[in-house]
Amino acid sequence: MLEIRNLSVAYGKIVAVSNLSLTVNEGEIVTVVGGNGAGKTTTLRTVSGVLKPRSGEILFKGKSMVGLSPEAIVTRGISHSPEGRMIFGRLTITENLKLGAYNRKDPSGVKSDMERMFGMFPVLEQRKSQRAGTLSGGEQQMLAIARSLMSRPNLLLLDEPSLGLAPLLVEKIFDVVVELRNEGVTILLVEQNANEALRISDRAYVLETGTVTIEGPSTELINNPMLRAAYLGLD
Amino acid sequence: MTINYIMQQLVNGLALGSIYALLAIGLTMVYGILRLINFAHGDLMMLGAYVSSIFISATILPILFAVVIPTLLMALMGLIVERTAYRPLRGAPEVAMLITSLGVSRLLQNSTVLVLSPQPRAFRLPGDLTQTMNVGGIRFTQLDVLTFLLVIALMVLLTLYINRSKTGMAMRASSENLRAARLIGINVNWAIGAAFVLGSALAGTAGFLWASRYGIIDPFMGFLPGVKAFVAAVIGGIGSIRGAVAGGVILGVAEIGFVGFLPPEFSGYRDAFVFSLLLIVLLVRPNGLFGKSEVERA
Ligand SMILES: Nc1ncnc2c1ncn2[C@@H]1O[C@H](COP(=O)(O)OP(=O)(O)OP(=O)(O)O)[C@@H](O)[C@H]1O
Ligand SMILES: [Mg+2]
Repeated sequence: MLEIRNLSVAYGKIVAVSNLSLTVNEGEIVTVVGGNGAGKTTTLRTVSGVLKPRSGEILFKGKSMVGLSPEAIVTRGISHSPEGRMIFGRLTITENLKLGAYNRKDPSGVKSDMERMFGMFPVLEQRKSQRAGTLSGGEQQMLAIARSLMSRPNLLLLDEPSLGLAPLLVEKIFDVVVELRNEGVTILLVEQNANEALRISDRAYVLETGTVTIEGPSTELINNPMLRAAYLGLD
Repeated sequence: MTINYIMQQLVNGLALGSIYALLAIGLTMVYGILRLINFAHGDLMMLGAYVSSIFISATILPILFAVVIPTLLMALMGLIVERTAYRPLRGAPEVAMLITSLGVSRLLQNSTVLVLSPQPRAFRLPGDLTQTMNVGGIRFTQLDVLTFLLVIALMVLLTLYINRSKTGMAMRASSENLRAARLIGINVNWAIGAAFVLGSALAGTAGFLWASRYGIIDPFMGFLPGVKAFVAAVIGGIGSIRGAVAGGVILGVAEIGFVGFLPPEFSGYRDAFVFSLLLIVLLVRPNGLFGKSEVERA
């Protein structure tokens, strides 16, 4: 479904991603792990069209996405729940969700999806007319995910959804990810919480200084001794 | 000093402040999204005044044209300026846009000089609009009343639009976090364009009001009011429409008060006074009267 080939991205002179290749097949959960500054966020932002690659290809459903605007990419079925949530704190929860559906032309579909989100995250419904800035960190994360689902994506990019959350909420977030996959959304998941992420995903990539160093089925990587020492905190 | 004199100054201050408020709204919307101090904003008011003067002299047309046409034309002009001057700089450092806006300001002023004339020209309202009325010893014109009502009506409409419409929602989101807005697929160019169109339209309306009030227009008339209106927006809390209106009114009243209540030898310092007011507000309330504190911003 998503195929990244030999991608290189730079911020001015700083090369953040170099020669990275990565594939996500339809229906998969694919995890990307890697230390701080490895280039995970940069990769996702490039797929979303916010950053332009220096070289390389990004194919989605067989078509090149390079050079398209972020809204064109959302319209084609890729949605991004960004690192740090980036919800609009001064807008209400309902408004945040509506903005996730900004490019949709089917008001009734948007309405029923909004109900679906409220079903999935009841706390959002209870507080739907309040400013999103009043939500707790975990609730804001749920809002960020719900907002990104409002565009009805085929592929969801999740950047560190469990960051800074209490263990119980981390569980809840990973449950949601699995549930979404079961509903047919393909997921590219970036996580520092590698243990949990590998457990729910099909395949995984390890990024170091902007390029892939290890890849394979998650069940294999979970037992990879190098990985265990570096990212899983086990030995 | 009689109570009448005080009331008189208040009326004058409110009328001037209403015009600052109109200008400040456009400045605060654009600054909110792009972090751009748009120095060319006041020059759109100047162009609006010139357009208005054409329709004022063509007496066969109702006066309404002299308000509506500059408003519409400046909306278009704002869009053109945004497309040609500012949009190519998207992603460039903020200072590049700032300098460009100074350039646009100069371009508009000098084009007016070139095409028309550097000489000031008279702007005379026909009919009863400037006739003074006397209510309990306070003198004001229909124009003062019109100015005040128009500003209130426009502010209410604009607030409704920004709070209720989809574009308004996109503008608020872009103003809060432009990067996030882009990332989740909001058409931020549309939102930015809307801020320019709406703000510039109000600058066009302000052109009519300013020219009617002072009776004279020239190619450089817009710059200082534009800068003062930015001061008003900062006083009110940059990014907030309510703040822009409150700041504009406060500034207008304070400026007229400064001239009206201090000995005449001070009146030459009225501009200096306006800018010292800015410094004081920034010292006491860095986020302005209606500004969000950084903490609230989350
Ligand atoms: N806006 C930017 N300007 C310049 N350099 C940047 C910018 N954003 C990221 N970088 C650099 O690019 C590299 C990759 O950053 P990126 O944010 O993609 O890493 P990451 O893998 O997401 O890290 P983390 O786990 O900390 O989120 C880092 O060296 C970072 O300093
Ligand atoms: Mg990151």
